[in-house]
Amino acid sequence: MICDFSLRDSRTLARIINLAHRFTCDTVSVTANKAGSATQVRFAFEGPPVALVRLRAQIERIIASESPA
Amino acid sequence: MNGTTVRNGATVLLEALEAEGVETIFGYPGGAIMPFYDALYGHPIQHILVRHEAAAVFAAAGYARTSGRVGVCCATSGPGATNLVTGLLDAHMDSIPLVAITGQVRSELMGTDGFQEADVCAITQAATKWNVRISDPARIGETIAEAFAIARGGRPGPVLVDIPADMLKAAVEAASRAERRSESPAPRATAAAIADAAARIRAARRPVAIIGGGVRRGEAVAAYRRFVGMLGLPHCCTINAIGAGERGDPHDLQMLGMHGHKAANKAVQAADLIIALGMRFDDRVTGKPDRFARSAAVIHADIDPSEFNKIIAADVALPGDLETTLNALSAELERGRVPRFHDWAIEARTLGGPLPSDRVAPGVLSATDVLDRFFARVQPDAVIATDVGQHQMWAAQRVQPNHPRSFTTSAGLGSMGFGLPCAVGAAYANPGRSVYAIVGDGGFQMSLPELATLRRYDVPVKIVLMDNQNLGMVRQWQELFYSERYSATNLSDNPDFVAIARAYRIDAYALSDPDQADATLAHFIDAPGPALLHCMCHPTENVWPMIPAGQSIDELMEAKA
Repeated sequence: MICDFSLRDSRTLARIINLAHRFTCDTVSVTANKAGSATQVRFAFEGPPVALVRLRAQIERIIASESPA
Repeated sequence: MNGTTVRNGATVLLEALEAEGVETIFGYPGGAIMPFYDALYGHPIQHILVRHEAAAVFAAAGYARTSGRVGVCCATSGPGATNLVTGLLDAHMDSIPLVAITGQVRSELMGTDGFQEADVCAITQAATKWNVRISDPARIGETIAEAFAIARGGRPGPVLVDIPADMLKAAVEAASRAERRSESPAPRATAAAIADAAARIRAARRPVAIIGGGVRRGEAVAAYRRFVGMLGLPHCCTINAIGAGERGDPHDLQMLGMHGHKAANKAVQAADLIIALGMRFDDRVTGKPDRFARSAAVIHADIDPSEFNKIIAADVALPGDLETTLNALSAELERGRVPRFHDWAIEARTLGGPLPSDRVAPGVLSATDVLDRFFARVQPDAVIATDVGQHQMWAAQRVQPNHPRSFTTSAGLGSMGFGLPCAVGAAYANPGRSVYAIVGDGGFQMSLPELATLRRYDVPVKIVLMDNQNLGMVRQWQELFYSERYSATNLSDNPDFVAIARAYRIDAYALSDPDQADATLAHFIDAPGPALLHCMCHPTENVWPMIPAGQSIDELMEAKA
């Protein structure tokens, strides 16, 4: 599963990797670039299909309440 | 002055808290947070000194859980901050709005393994909705405003603000009041989804509503009672929504799940439509998910879209604030034929029966009997907090509060030691109301130091201690599922709890004779101020009914096989 996100807080990157581990998914690649005040991130995850769906929903939940650190 | 003045960061922090309406903070001082405590000295914001930081966060949660307002706690850096972690995760699991303020070592010491340094932002990342470390004292005001907005906005949760000591001491030229951050708009169900849900309700023959903790937000309780009343709908609740139904409503099947009422579990399994409202299909509610309500379509309403299809697939998803969603759904139903489900509701009620209980030896106190008598006598508007274990489930099965914020418990995380400090917070949020902590002998011993908090501030919390000389819930599982190998659950060497309470100068009552139960309860309930009722209960009474973990919710046990 490839996901692109714009993070307002770059620490969220670490949170997402830990979340993937919690959901028994692997983070197989991460590309992150600072763009102004945001960080553009592309993740590639592998894992059971149900876990990947839950992972994506939880990432979107975290990003929705993100705020700059 | 142009609305600005020079002050230190700690004073700006206090002003920002005042701007958020904070009246009470639960906390414990220490080195890195001393500038804040210095600013608090003589300040009108009331600080309640607890005896362990874990109690501070549980008390703040009790304040928030029973009032709907944001609870606030504070602690120093390092061990002070790490002692908050369980309470933060507890609040995160149950969607409770909290702001925790932690001191941090001076900025130049961060990363040096300085005395009482901990990377609390990293440690609490998965236990909070948001956390932040202040790196510019000029941003303290706006960060606090942001923290409160995030804590209370959308699906509520805990926020931690970590502030290095030098930021608290720094001179700040700040506006006299922080700008209050506007909250992000909640998602809203589309008209098409509301119409789809209404059509499915009209077509249903055996619908059941399940209400969850989302009902505690705003005025959702009134909207919920109107919705189920209009339809004559059988309805049940998760442990976080006990009290959502009107007291005495014959269509209220009460709590479902692992130790829920038989009628609630059976009705859900017989349903052809589940209307899930502000609940997240926890495993303690669903049992085995692929055998949960197999014949039912599912309408799922929740403020958090990530809950849709997480455990149970939704045929109709209604994102949004529950009050708004229920009002829209009620209005849509009223625009056409309003279905009535009274006959099904009466049938659903017959699927259950009285709560089963173990027969205990004559002359020995039964915990369930004591709780039945207690709830029959207790004030109708009392606030009840529980700890975690058998007493929690017995209480949840029996309590009949008038509002879901009148009964509170550590539901999602199940944190022992929660009950007493939670009740302390509830007492500050509900002055003039009776507040009870129902605790077991295991969890009470995790929170004993808070007896000092009760005494110091004369907090009128009354503690009902159900002492069965065991870690009863674990013992019950060992009896039923681990071949009666009672590993590390025997507490028969408990201390003299009455003597301990009296050592803290708290009135204490001892109850062991069933014939004295009513008279002792009457004295205890009528007593002023803090008090302890020590109930010496039968050691092997179990909680029934019970659905073994991983089983379908209609495979409930009503007694030991």
